[in-house]
Amino acid sequence: MTDVEAAARQVMGWGESARRPGRDPVNLPMVRNWLEALGDASSAYAEEAPPAMAQVWTMGGLHHTRADDDPLGAMLAVLDEAGYTSIVATDCEQTYHRYLRYGEEVALAARLESVVGPKRTALGEGWFVTTRNIWYVGDEPVAEMMFRVLKFAPAPAEPPVEPLIRPVVNRDTAYFWEGTARGELRIQRCEACGELRHPPGPMCPSCNETKPGWLVASGLGEVYSYVVHHHPPVPGRTLPFVVALVELDEGVRLMAELDAPPDEVHIGLPVRIAFAAVDDELTMPVWRRR
Amino acid sequence: MDAAIVGIGATEFSKDSGRSELQLAAEAVKDALADAGLRPSDVDGLTTFTMDANAEVAVARELGIPSLSFFSRVGYGGGAACATVQQAAMAVATGMASVVVCYRAFNERSGSRFGRVQTAAATAPTSGGLDNSWHYPMGLGTPAASVAMFARRYMHTYGATSEDFGRVAVADRRHAATNPKAWFYNRPITLEDHQSSRWIAEPLRLLDCCQESDGAVALVVTSLERAADLPHPVARVAAAAQGSASDQFTMNSYYREDLTGLPEMGVVAEQLWRQSGLGPSDMSVAVLYDHFTPFVLVQLEELGFCPRGEARHFIADGALELDGRLPTNPHGGQLGEAYIHGMNGIAEAVRQLRGTAANQVSSAENVLVTAGTGVPTSALVLAAT
Amino acid sequence: MITVGEELPPLSIDVTPTFVVSTALATRDFQDVHHDRDLAVQRGSKDIFLNILTDTGLVQRFVTDWAGPAVRVKKIAIRLGVPCYAYETLTFTGQVTEHDGNEYVVSVAGRNSLGDHVTGTVRIEVP
Repeated sequence: MTDVEAAARQVMGWGESARRPGRDPVNLPMVRNWLEALGDASSAYAEEAPPAMAQVWTMGGLHHTRADDDPLGAMLAVLDEAGYTSIVATDCEQTYHRYLRYGEEVALAARLESVVGPKRTALGEGWFVTTRNIWYVGDEPVAEMMFRVLKFAPAPAEPPVEPLIRPVVNRDTAYFWEGTARGELRIQRCEACGELRHPPGPMCPSCNETKPGWLVASGLGEVYSYVVHHHPPVPGRTLPFVVALVELDEGVRLMAELDAPPDEVHIGLPVRIAFAAVDDELTMPVWRRR
Repeated sequence: MDAAIVGIGATEFSKDSGRSELQLAAEAVKDALADAGLRPSDVDGLTTFTMDANAEVAVARELGIPSLSFFSRVGYGGGAACATVQQAAMAVATGMASVVVCYRAFNERSGSRFGRVQTAAATAPTSGGLDNSWHYPMGLGTPAASVAMFARRYMHTYGATSEDFGRVAVADRRHAATNPKAWFYNRPITLEDHQSSRWIAEPLRLLDCCQESDGAVALVVTSLERAADLPHPVARVAAAAQGSASDQFTMNSYYREDLTGLPEMGVVAEQLWRQSGLGPSDMSVAVLYDHFTPFVLVQLEELGFCPRGEARHFIADGALELDGRLPTNPHGGQLGEAYIHGMNGIAEAVRQLRGTAANQVSSAENVLVTAGTGVPTSALVLAAT
Repeated sequence: MITVGEELPPLSIDVTPTFVVSTALATRDFQDVHHDRDLAVQRGSKDIFLNILTDTGLVQRFVTDWAGPAVRVKKIAIRLGVPCYAYETLTFTGQVTEHDGNEYVVSVAGRNSLGDHVTGTVRIEVP
């Protein structure tokens, strides 16, 4: 067992921490500040606070320090010591047993749920640390949160790779790349007959009109076929990688890299589009699992 | 068609020729003319691939060919191979030229390797560059990967396996092992070798991929009447066809209803059988373009040797071997002999008809030859009579 | 009447520096990377960026803007992706994916020019 695992076992043994009370009771001024900052115009919060504020009530504030029995703080210190000095949050799941009423006093307790690693990630080797927060009013649990962070040792800078091959863009295809830059997957649609088409062209093969338009596709589809590329090197890619031909829900096919471990890809895999900005002028579509 | 191949010539096939591509072209043309019993001054036509780096006039200068009345080029990579002979045959049959030489010469291993990512192909300001822009920037940048995308779907649809592809490679390499001109002379492989070879573009393994080669091949075409006066038995052009099909791309025809066929080869097949009055069962030998093994299976289906999806059963009992139902690539193909963009396969077809091949199939009457697959393509039926 | 497959009207947030700072403070999150650009850059970021409490709040807002004030939010589960720096536009899209009695699950994605900033699901109860 590694030192990290031993320490994790010890911190898990602490169980739930002492409850730490929030600074102020649930109150309308903070709610109104929060709604204003987030641009939320909902009328739902005259008597109760927005559920997504659960954590706000027990935030430590400007000069806060972690309690000694705070399991996340303790575990992060262990990992810092072991050389995993960087941190990124990966998941946050909040469950609201009920909404909080104004005037209620909220207290927070936390426990360590798991420490998993060391894992090789794109950021570097690290450990996934999962904690559970439980908010109480009196002895009643009112909300919970599973919170996961990756505590990692930053990977050494990768050797410079050749920039990826840039597409040729002309007036027939510009709409597509303008779309990716805006986070939209645009598919050519004939303004005359409505035929969808990808790859695009200036004249509709169905009606021969030269009125190409486009729609924004859902970005959802299934893997129709795919390749796991091992050799030779491809500019801008780290080997091996997956390229997938995806049949969109709209019925046309579109190829892009599939950001998924090769072993987990199969024909029929449900995917959705994502976008990766290369620079100010080029954003590539990328498939992700859904 | 009133045309025949009357001369074949080639350089050695290597990984590093040590000389210029123009020299390779000139040597192969010289060799082919000598084989035909003709002189450079007899030549009035030249034809090659658009991808060939040697201009017709440059080849003519080296050989001292005094004048040309016909010169042309065919596009789409290896899909051009048999179409160069079609061009020559049409020129001869229409009287535009009397002796046409088809040639292909490159340092494809020691120079620019096709197996590497061809960045230039994806960045050209042409319709082809735009087509490639839907694939190369996405990471699909090599011919092997392009074919692998197709092969995965074919496997999924018909239940073909990597071992089925491997049987093609094993047959090719067995033939190459007894062809002294082949790069893989004396080096056969087993199916286990195939299965343990590394992934290139999954589901394609190293041994599913043809070689990269340096070398050149030239073919001399003239009329049947003139052929009768020349030294070798005739290799008559019984059929010559090109084909492209609906929603055709070069290597990436991924947007058709179905991704399990090569409909452009179907277009070619229909013409071959109609022009020649022959059918699949009349073929003594097949030279099937084998840059990547999966497309050999699909060609068998498109050309009518077996029903769709059943090529793996067709080849399972050794049909492609020299004593099989359809002796295929007796020279070793491009996996075994050399990758000269399909032109070495046409030369092999001629040798089979002459009875002079290293792995001679007895009484070869009609030979089918196909060109590059996954691209607009072409094919020939050559006949002994 | 909510139906499975229904798409939510997209919500685009102009992530100005003011938005980053004011939401961080409204959630009582005083970490410097959410309000001090120089320190954020020193720590390896491109700019100040949105905090997680705000992500959860924005996901809630996106769903309740559409579903109305009467629904009860039962659960918000998010996965965190690329950062959302100041000067980004963050666009939320969503779709109803499950229905069970009075409860519905909405799947949500918030994307910016770098890719997926936040993806996840929201469980709501409709009275």
